[in-house]
Amino acid sequence: MGRLSELLQAGVCVPAGFSVTIDAYRQHCAQSRLDAVIDTALAGLGDNPGPAPIEQASRTIRAEFEQRPISTALAKDITDAYDDLCLHCVEVNVPTAVRSSATGEDSDDASFAGIFDTYLGVSGPGRILDAVRACWGSLFTERALDYRHRRGISHHEMPIAVGVIELIHARASGVAFSIHPVTGKSDRIVIEGNWGWGEAVVQGLVTPDHIEIGKSDGRVLRYDVASKKIVSAFDYAAGRVVETDMPARLVDRRVLDDEQTAAVAEAVAAIEKHYGFPVDVEWVLDRHRRAGEPICIVQVRPVTAVKVSSPPPARWNPVSAATKYAFHRTT
Amino acid sequence: MADVIPLDEFVSDEWYPGFKPAYDHAPWMVDPVDTFKKKDEETFWFLDFHWPRGLTPMGWIWGEDGYNWGTQLAAETLPLPPGRGMTSRFAGTHLYGSAVPVTDPREIGARAKRIEKSLPLFLGNFEDIWATRRQETEDGWAYLRSVDLGKLSLAELGENLVQARAYHKRAFEIHFEVMYPLLANFVGFYGQCVEFGLDPGQIGKFLQGYDTKIMETDRELWRLTAQARSGGLADVFAATEAENLSAALSAHGGAASTWLSHFEDFLQIYGWRTEGSCDLALPSWIEDPTPALGTIKTFLLKPEVHDFKAALDAAIAEREEAVDAARSVLTREEQAVFDGGLESCRAANFPWWQDDHNYYIDLKVSLPMRWACQEIAGRVGADASDDMFFLFWPENMQLVRGERSYPDFKPIIEARKQYFDHWYQRRASMPKMLGTIPDSVDDPIVIEIFGLNGHFLDTIKAAASGQEVRTLTGIPASKGIARGIARVLSNADELHRIQPGEILVCESTSPNWTPAFAKIAACVCDGGGTLSHAAIVGREYGVPTVTAVGLATAIINDGDEIEVNGTTGTVTVFHTATAGSTEGAEPAATGGVPS
Repeated sequence: MGRLSELLQAGVCVPAGFSVTIDAYRQHCAQSRLDAVIDTALAGLGDNPGPAPIEQASRTIRAEFEQRPISTALAKDITDAYDDLCLHCVEVNVPTAVRSSATGEDSDDASFAGIFDTYLGVSGPGRILDAVRACWGSLFTERALDYRHRRGISHHEMPIAVGVIELIHARASGVAFSIHPVTGKSDRIVIEGNWGWGEAVVQGLVTPDHIEIGKSDGRVLRYDVASKKIVSAFDYAAGRVVETDMPARLVDRRVLDDEQTAAVAEAVAAIEKHYGFPVDVEWVLDRHRRAGEPICIVQVRPVTAVKVSSPPPARWNPVSAATKYAFHRTT
Repeated sequence: MADVIPLDEFVSDEWYPGFKPAYDHAPWMVDPVDTFKKKDEETFWFLDFHWPRGLTPMGWIWGEDGYNWGTQLAAETLPLPPGRGMTSRFAGTHLYGSAVPVTDPREIGARAKRIEKSLPLFLGNFEDIWATRRQETEDGWAYLRSVDLGKLSLAELGENLVQARAYHKRAFEIHFEVMYPLLANFVGFYGQCVEFGLDPGQIGKFLQGYDTKIMETDRELWRLTAQARSGGLADVFAATEAENLSAALSAHGGAASTWLSHFEDFLQIYGWRTEGSCDLALPSWIEDPTPALGTIKTFLLKPEVHDFKAALDAAIAEREEAVDAARSVLTREEQAVFDGGLESCRAANFPWWQDDHNYYIDLKVSLPMRWACQEIAGRVGADASDDMFFLFWPENMQLVRGERSYPDFKPIIEARKQYFDHWYQRRASMPKMLGTIPDSVDDPIVIEIFGLNGHFLDTIKAAASGQEVRTLTGIPASKGIARGIARVLSNADELHRIQPGEILVCESTSPNWTPAFAKIAACVCDGGGTLSHAAIVGREYGVPTVTAVGLATAIINDGDEIEVNGTTGTVTVFHTATAGSTEGAEPAATGGVPS
């Protein structure tokens, strides 16, 4: 969330929203005696817990997070902020994306991307409060517990903030990287996208379209249209975004046209330039977006899992190529 | 665990009856040609496809002056950082090759430093270097052609033979001096392209569509074919066996006489070539025009004329299309490197040179030694003109100096001819590899020219363990799919057996096989990489080609119906012929798949 406000300052299109701070989380844990619950549950784990005890601890802690009410004062603050957001968006009970953001998540040494929960399509003050509590609880998912345990990180060092942002009505969404996420080549931008919202892409439930764009000239180097079997779509009855089968006529259809592709690439390049390090972002193409308008960015993280590969030589050098490929030597 | 194919049966101090390898000079840089010794089992040896007939005693000179000396001198001079060139061993008359590695890391580093200077120097001056070297060999050729051997004394013939050998040796010094840096540059470019994510199957196309002397020869053969057809000679060709065509056309007179004079003009330019690389036991087309006439005979069976201009235009169009497609997926930074590499490889074009140089070197430079040996045979009253091929160099020197006489040698020549025939019969069953089979091969020459990649090694190992092999796989060398009858040929003499639409199956092809590509439906080779002759010519002619299949000539029988997929590199054997299998070929390892 902090990054999103920064990006707004930097001129990137980000959705409107507010943040439930780390302080609010800490206050809630203390007031609701959740700290004691957590300590008790974690103390039972021992040094080298197996999957079953971790699952048990996770279930216990999360159930408590979801049950214990938020203090009247904090609930009022959140509800007020939500009302402001509704007013800003000119929509009663505006649907939102409620996203967890642990402080460790954006740090450079550990990528927590995708570990914590995101709830898409949450609308109405009551549901917002529930989603905030669920997000707090997601600091204690099995995956997060195991992750911290292996890395020796205490949950106290990693309090959680929750972002509540306007849900963009997504025509298409996905992720994008300012370097190649596998090879680390920094001369290209890589975009992956699917119809609808981005959860199916972020969670790896769908093989998205894969696009690579030359960073220096914005040329599309490749566009691999994937067979996209799953879509994250809004379920109006349930009041949230759910994963469902992709309608047949969209499965093999190309997600982004050239103009849209360029808009995503432009946003990613601007963000990387702003921060001065490689980033990955989650982007959303608004159903109402017109050509020429910017693409919405809903999440930004530094790329930490891949090392930036050395750039190709500035020009052809027969000696270094022969040494490397014909003589199998590194220089 | 390394696999060992024992070579006990080839261990010998003697090569041909009455000869123990010995040297009166130092004919090598690093490792000399030799017969196999037990110690060689520690090394990896592969059967070299260039000499499917086996080599005669005078062929030992090729091992000394060409294979070993030429490659080792070039590898030391350039130098190649990790390699000292090639060495060779004889199993019977059959030559096995092996790459000699540099093992000391410090020395490899020192050599790498040297090539940093020498490689750019060579590449920057390639056109000039090749023109100069080519002129040098052509000058040597012109001199040796100008000598009237009939006027020389026996001693002078000996001196002429020494000159012919020096010319031959120098030609192969040039051959490898040029080949190594060209190959290093190409393999570097290839590796860079793969690193950029380009399809390896497309890379060969970037450099195709440049005319060579060998392609020029093929065009002339088709021109002669058209003249034979318009002169109404098609029936004569159809009714006459290739070896009798010369006589039949002479007897026919009229249009045939005119045609024969055109043919003679053709031979005077293009006929100084042998049906195989670097082997003085092979005649030129001038001496025996059967291969050329046989090729024209089969060309006449094709109703349409091979349109060289259209084929070349298509190759050029395909090249430009492949380059555009490749560039379109590269970033601007990558394009700059790609463009530079492509320009460098076009200016010093290895695939082009790999075909072109054969006209000036491989197919020609053994001929002067052959002429001298034949003239000496006549002078000493030998029973056969090829008798001197069956003496070793020191023995021929003794003969021309009058230290020994022909009758002294008669029994040994006879014994050696039997030895040659014996080993010739064994060719089809010779192991493809001997010694210690490595898990991988690093030497770029061995990989690119001989196609000994990981897949090839696996196939050999699979067959050795008795596994069934029905679908054979190799390197996809030239795209496309074709199905037809397999013609399994053991050497180029049999090329005229191939009918249009049939599939050529062989150990490997060399430039003298090129004419066949205008009539075959597909080509399958035991050996050869993406830069082997068959791969290059397959692409030029648009003939689906799969190389480095490993055991194609052993598993596929002559007459089998097979399907070749040059895009995926697979060969499917649909039916194993029950009769007419190739002489000496091992029975198929599988029963074949019913068609």
